[in-house]
Amino acid sequence: MDAIKDDERPELEPPILQGLAQAVPQVDPPPELRARLLRSVSTSPTSTFTSPRPVAWWLATAASLALVAGLTIYTAQLRTRITGLESELRDTRARADAAQQLMIVAQRTATGAQTAVAILTAPDVARVDLAGQQPVSPSASARAFWSRSRGMVFNASNLPPLPAGRTYQLWVVTAQAPISAGLLTPDIQGSVSEVFNTPPDIPQPIAMAVTIEPAGGVPAPTGDKYLVGTL
Amino acid sequence: MWVLLAAIGRSATTLRDECLADQLALGRIARGDHSALAELYDRHARLVFSLALRILQNRADAEDVVQDVFTQVWAQASRYDTARGAVAAWMLMMARTRAIDRLRSRSSRPETATEARVVEAVPDVTARQDLQLLSAEQVESLQDALNVLPVAQRVALELAYYEGLTHAEIADRLSEPLGTVKTRIRQAVIKLRESLVQ
Repeated sequence: MDAIKDDERPELEPPILQGLAQAVPQVDPPPELRARLLRSVSTSPTSTFTSPRPVAWWLATAASLALVAGLTIYTAQLRTRITGLESELRDTRARADAAQQLMIVAQRTATGAQTAVAILTAPDVARVDLAGQQPVSPSASARAFWSRSRGMVFNASNLPPLPAGRTYQLWVVTAQAPISAGLLTPDIQGSVSEVFNTPPDIPQPIAMAVTIEPAGGVPAPTGDKYLVGTL
Repeated sequence: MWVLLAAIGRSATTLRDECLADQLALGRIARGDHSALAELYDRHARLVFSLALRILQNRADAEDVVQDVFTQVWAQASRYDTARGAVAAWMLMMARTRAIDRLRSRSSRPETATEARVVEAVPDVTARQDLQLLSAEQVESLQDALNVLPVAQRVALELAYYEGLTHAEIADRLSEPLGTVKTRIRQAVIKLRESLVQ
């Protein structure tokens, strides 16, 4: 198409295009359209479920299925797969069928999955959504479920690969100093799922953040923020 | 960068908050939150519907376009890089593309292989412009400029934008020479650009 580039063609630059789009007579759509739209998307997956990029995975036992299903809208959208617990978990993301909308959490210990479900079902559980940060991690995202009494489940996706000698560190931000919840090492696809024991007596959290730090972690955040979310 | 704040009927601060709220809503949509899509709809369906209606002149078709646009937002939320522009501007661009495609198939007008449209349809998620909604004042200013354009210029411009025609198609529609059509559009654009610079 560049071969026919015409220097007499006017430059309809973005503000003019935008203005022409907005300058039309404004008419309200019929109310039924809203309902129709929301009905139709309630049965279709979002991009996180159908994209080839990995999503966070949850592992739940058969006995916990009913409990998980009774949770928030977010967890209610998950179809958990019933599977056994293993002491050593491998990355199954390459084999999992994203179209089945499975969510599995990889746990390090046999009790880890039970802890995750306990946190999810805790009466005092709070959910925090964390967003990636410009310019370091614009497409990263994360979700944390925190129960003061039972601990924290954290999963993230699209974290950039770590340079040698660095780690990600998760912080709970309070009115006092930020408290380290633990370290995170994403897999090669940038995903990580962890369960952390958090002290029950920490001051009321305001926010959570993930920063990049020297390997082994640090007592207070020093590096760039890669994920931030407020409670 | 053309960063212009506020939208029709809304104050500058409200729209700046809305722009941020849109980005947050997009993030929630990417995680499957239907209420976030409803939020976007409540804020911007009117803009999207109005543009589709202007292009298609048919309510049922315009409704379909609105449904298509928001369904695409639902499906592609996680792939949209908000650094590329405001969510609402992205939706309006999608609306125009879809409405014009519908218009072309309605009249079964063949895609001209040799000449590009005056206003190109840009691939949606890869749009490189830094688009923002215009303020109410800016839109009014542009509307005033449109209203005082000589009729021939206005018609040529509107055929280019709201029907997605090529220069040749416009010349054919208006029974005017190709060069004349190009001149008319160029002059119209100059005047519109001036109206926005204020």
